[in-house]
Amino acid sequence: MLVGIILVLGLIALYVWSLYNQLVTIKTRIRASIQEIGNQLKRQADLIPNLTAAVKGYFKQEKEIFALITEARKAVMEALKEADAQKLVDASEKMQQALAPIRALFESTPQLRSVEPTVKLMDELRDTADKVMYARRTLIDLTADYNIKIVTFPSNLVAKIFGFKPETGLKTPTEGEHIEVSVEELKTPKVGV
Amino acid sequence: MINVYELQDSNRKRSTLVIVAFIVFVVVVGWVFARLFDWGPGAIGIALIFAGLMSFASYWWGDKIILTLSSARPANRRQDFQFFTVAENLAMAVQIPMPKLYVIEDSAPNAFATGRDPQHAVVCATTGLLQKLDRSELEGVIAHEISHIKNYDTRLMSIVTILVGMITLLSDWFLRGAGFGGRSRKKGEGNLGAFLLFVGVILALLSPLIAKLMQLALSRRQEFLADSSAVMLTRYPEGLARALEKIAADKEPLEAANKATAHLYIVNPLKNLHSGVGWFANLFNTHPPVEERIRILREMA
Repeated sequence: MLVGIILVLGLIALYVWSLYNQLVTIKTRIRASIQEIGNQLKRQADLIPNLTAAVKGYFKQEKEIFALITEARKAVMEALKEADAQKLVDASEKMQQALAPIRALFESTPQLRSVEPTVKLMDELRDTADKVMYARRTLIDLTADYNIKIVTFPSNLVAKIFGFKPETGLKTPTEGEHIEVSVEELKTPKVGV
Repeated sequence: MINVYELQDSNRKRSTLVIVAFIVFVVVVGWVFARLFDWGPGAIGIALIFAGLMSFASYWWGDKIILTLSSARPANRRQDFQFFTVAENLAMAVQIPMPKLYVIEDSAPNAFATGRDPQHAVVCATTGLLQKLDRSELEGVIAHEISHIKNYDTRLMSIVTILVGMITLLSDWFLRGAGFGGRSRKKGEGNLGAFLLFVGVILALLSPLIAKLMQLALSRRQEFLADSSAVMLTRYPEGLARALEKIAADKEPLEAANKATAHLYIVNPLKNLHSGVGWFANLFNTHPPVEERIRILREMA
C-alpha cells in the first residue's frame, strides 16, 4: 500500500519534472530562433552596402537604400532587445524594401550575374533569406507546440503552477513579397504538343 | 491528390509494418530452428552476439569507415558555399546538430548520409552533385539526407543487418548440423521427425534469402519516407524531383561506391552496372525506381 503511494507520487514528480524541462527548453528555442532571425537580418544589413558598391555603375538610388537600411537596422536592434518576434518580422519587411531595387536591377541586367563579387554576395543574401524563412517556420512550430502544451490537460496544471504564459509568436502576414504573385507566375504554362 | 502530411503518415505506417513483419519473421525462424534442433535459447543468443559483433564495427565507426572507403574531404563554407549553408539551414529546421559535411571528388552526382545518431551524423556529396544542381535542387537532396538522419535510418538498417546476419548464421549451423549429428538426437520420432527435418532444411535454405528481401523492402520504404520528409522540410517537391531527374539522367557510374555502401546513397550509384526492369528485378533493389519517386513528388506539387 505504502509502496504503491510512493510509486504513484514518484511518477507524478517525474512527469512534472520532465514537463517543466520540456517547457523551458521550448522557450529557450523560441528565444534562439528569434535571435537567429535578428542575426540574419543584421547580416543582410551588412551585405546590402557591399552589393550596392559592387553594382555602382548601374545604380542611382544608393542614398535612398542607405536610409532604408539604417532604419531597418535600428528596428531590428529594438525588436531584438525586446525579443519581440512580430516586431522583428516587421523590421524584416523594411529590409526587403531596401533590397527590392537591387533585386530588380539583377532581374533586368543579366550581365551582373556573371561577375564574381556580386554573384558571391547574392548567394550570401539568398542564404540569409533562407535562414530567416526556416527560423520563422521553426518559431511558428515551436510556439504552436508550446501553446498547446500549456492549455491541454494535464500539462496545463503544471504550466499553471510554474506560471508559464502563452507565447505570442507571429501573426499571419497579410502583405509582403512572399505572398505577392508576379505576372510571370500567373501565366498559363505553354505546353508543346 | 494526396498532401504531404498524409503521405508522411502513410509512409510511417508502412515502414512500421515492414519492421514488425521482419521481427516476426526472425522470431519465428529462430523458434523453429530451436525446436527442431533442441537448441536452447543459448544458440539464438550466440548467433545474435556473433552477428552483432560483425556489424558492431560498421554501426559504431560506420561514419569513419565509409568516409575512408569513399576517400572524402571535409567541406568548408568558402569552397562549398551552397552545400554548407543549405545543410546548416536544414539542420536548424529539424533541430539537430549540424552534421559533418564531406565532399567526394567524383563527377557522378550523388549523396549519402550515415552515422549512428544525429550527434554523429555525416552528410556526403560528390563534386558532380554540387556542380550540376542549383540551390533549390540541392536543398531537396540534402533535406532527404537530413531526414534519414532525423529518422535514425542508419541505426535501423544496422539493426536489421545484424538480424539478417543472425538468420544466416542459424541457417548455416542448422544445415551443417543436419548433415552430421542432427539426426541421431531426433532418433525414435519416425516419420514426423523426418518431415520436420525436411521443413527445417527448406526453411534453412530459404530464410536467409527471405530475410535479405525483407531488408531490401525496408530500405526502399525508408527512401520513400525520406523523400516525403524532405518535402515536409523544404515545402518544395519540385526541387527534389528535378534533382532526382538530373541524378538519374547521369550515366556515369560512381567510382567510390560498391555493393556494401550502395544502399546509403540518394539514388542507387550502381544503377549503370545492372539495369533490371520489372517487378522481380525491383525485389532486389535497395532503392525504389527513380521514375516512381519523381511521379510521387510531382503529385504533391
